[in-house]
Amino acid sequence: MPDPRKKITALIRSLEELRLHVGRKDLSIGEERVGAQLFFPLANACLRGRAVLLYGGMGANKTTLINLLGSSFQSLELDEVENLMVTGHPEQTEEKIIGFLDPRQWSRDSSETSVLWTPWARSRWKLINEINRFPSGKQNLFLEILQKRKISYAGQIIEPGDTCYFATMNPEFSATYPMDEALLDRISVCVPAQQPDFLAGLALAERERSVHELAESLPRFSPQEFDALPGLVAGVGISSRVELAILCLLRDFTLCERAPGFDKTQLSKARPSLGLCPGCHYFNNPEAICWQVDEGLSDRVRQDLRDFCRAMAFLLDRDADLEVLRAVAPYVIWHRVTPVRSALERPPYYGARRLAFVSELVEKSINRTLNERAEMNLLFSQAVDGELDISKALQELSAFDDPIARMDFIPALERMR
Amino acid sequence: MSLKGFMDDAYRGRTRARRLETRRGEMVFSLEDLADRVGTKPSRAEVEALVPGDGDQTLLAQLLAQEPKKAHQILWGYLSSIAADASPVPLKLAARDYAGLELCRGTLILAGARDHLGERMSGGRIFVQGPAGDYLGQEMSGGGIIAESCRDYALRNMRGGFAVLRGDARNYIGIGNSGGRIVLRGSCGERAGWLMRGGSLRIAGDAGDYLGLLMSGGRIIVRGRAGRRAGWRRKGGTIRAGGYGLEAADGVLGLD
Repeated sequence: MPDPRKKITALIRSLEELRLHVGRKDLSIGEERVGAQLFFPLANACLRGRAVLLYGGMGANKTTLINLLGSSFQSLELDEVENLMVTGHPEQTEEKIIGFLDPRQWSRDSSETSVLWTPWARSRWKLINEINRFPSGKQNLFLEILQKRKISYAGQIIEPGDTCYFATMNPEFSATYPMDEALLDRISVCVPAQQPDFLAGLALAERERSVHELAESLPRFSPQEFDALPGLVAGVGISSRVELAILCLLRDFTLCERAPGFDKTQLSKARPSLGLCPGCHYFNNPEAICWQVDEGLSDRVRQDLRDFCRAMAFLLDRDADLEVLRAVAPYVIWHRVTPVRSALERPPYYGARRLAFVSELVEKSINRTLNERAEMNLLFSQAVDGELDISKALQELSAFDDPIARMDFIPALERMR
Repeated sequence: MSLKGFMDDAYRGRTRARRLETRRGEMVFSLEDLADRVGTKPSRAEVEALVPGDGDQTLLAQLLAQEPKKAHQILWGYLSSIAADASPVPLKLAARDYAGLELCRGTLILAGARDHLGERMSGGRIFVQGPAGDYLGQEMSGGGIIAESCRDYALRNMRGGFAVLRGDARNYIGIGNSGGRIVLRGSCGERAGWLMRGGSLRIAGDAGDYLGLLMSGGRIIVRGRAGRRAGWRRKGGTIRAGGYGLEAADGVLGLD
């Protein structure tokens, strides 16, 4: 079997040569610059059971890009891939999306209920187009599918196998509905899809062939190659530094001195944006992340960070190091959190650049973990491993004015004492 | 792998001896930020601790340029005083509520004024190029205010300082004053000098009804004519007027 990574490289080259708009190169990983709009869907194609959401205005090539990738990875015609997707509108029903009872079963002498599953339900490349045009109640259907990774209808269950999930979403319009927070948490990565810039527009103007014609020129993956991708990604190692940075990143977003159990995910009506924080020790401290976002991060974020770091490192043929984490983490986190308005409205964010705001928080957390937190983390680890007296460690740790030391390390050591 | 092994691997022996330093940030970019830090009814010292007059002048100018919401008017007022006190030259500002709140030594020049101008000021000068609103110079204990005219409750509970009004004042000027000097070149409405205990009130024009009602100290001089019941229930102090209407109390004197 040829190296699937080479085929992915060939696919990227073909997309560029065919002048398809795949977004600008806005993702810096070390020295390399790649396009987030293209590389996150590619990374998702190398994983299974994860979901990538492309977010942007009409005509940003979101749906076409996912369908072209589907055509290549599933080795299908573009028309066939387009038939696999479901598109959001208020009249979409569960029957239209996943399947319906086979009416022929009542004319047959059969005791088993038979369901006719839709191509979308059976497919391993699932695109939910314009997901926020589904009313909130119908969005719950996808919540269940993304959670269970299988589809049930009328007591029958279909397990399509390891699936790549994609969704597209428009900004809020009159015809869209708010996205459920639980559904957003199950979406691994959210990528802004931008309109073509000047040069991309020029390239598009020079394109002579239609997308359907171009799709035929793309390299195709065999089922064996497609199935081999998750194994190859799993082979990419993650260093202890990255693991530690991920752990601290999650705790930085989640810890809250005023939340039950110091866990911000326990909060409902009391939130930083609703006046929870004034008077708190960490409030308005630019180094502290807790007061700057409303929500804590779930463990799904940790899994998504690890998987997408691996997948991105695989695509770029490099180690899953901190540079990869710095690039990937904002896209994994920004759609899951709501920045506090007073912090987001400041320059240079002006209330609109949420991804950039979250990127800065991520950068702060990682830098802090690598530098200022070293002594504190080593003290804690020595105390846990019994190399340092717990009382002495507690005394030393109490001198650290860090949320993780105060709300995680000290309570943990006190329980061990 | 032990936790220590994991940490050692993560840091690869490169641990900085430096302690964590979680400093309190000075992220004040707007009146809203300031309100987050000190609340909407702080003391002047609390505001000055975050936005000192001798600190970042750009920040001070930026905050003063913002149109305050109703909840942030007191903050803006303190900032106007802090800026005026720190400024070596008179500070010109737009007319807003609470301008010159607790002013100590600076000079403010305002193109017109709204309510609560110069409230609780203890020093300095405020020049208003136009009329002032309600509660002008309320509870002031020093300094001086010069304005064209004012509306109700001007110079209430004044303890010191002076005020000169070139035109008219509406009702209730100088209520409960225990000190200070008020010179009014125009006329005033009802109940001027009500409950006055000290200080002086000079009115070049006419005064409304109930002048010096229940006053117990201080001096009121009206060059024009006082309204009905001047000096009604007066317990002390002096009232002199060019003329007075019906039912004036005993002891209200005419001008020589």
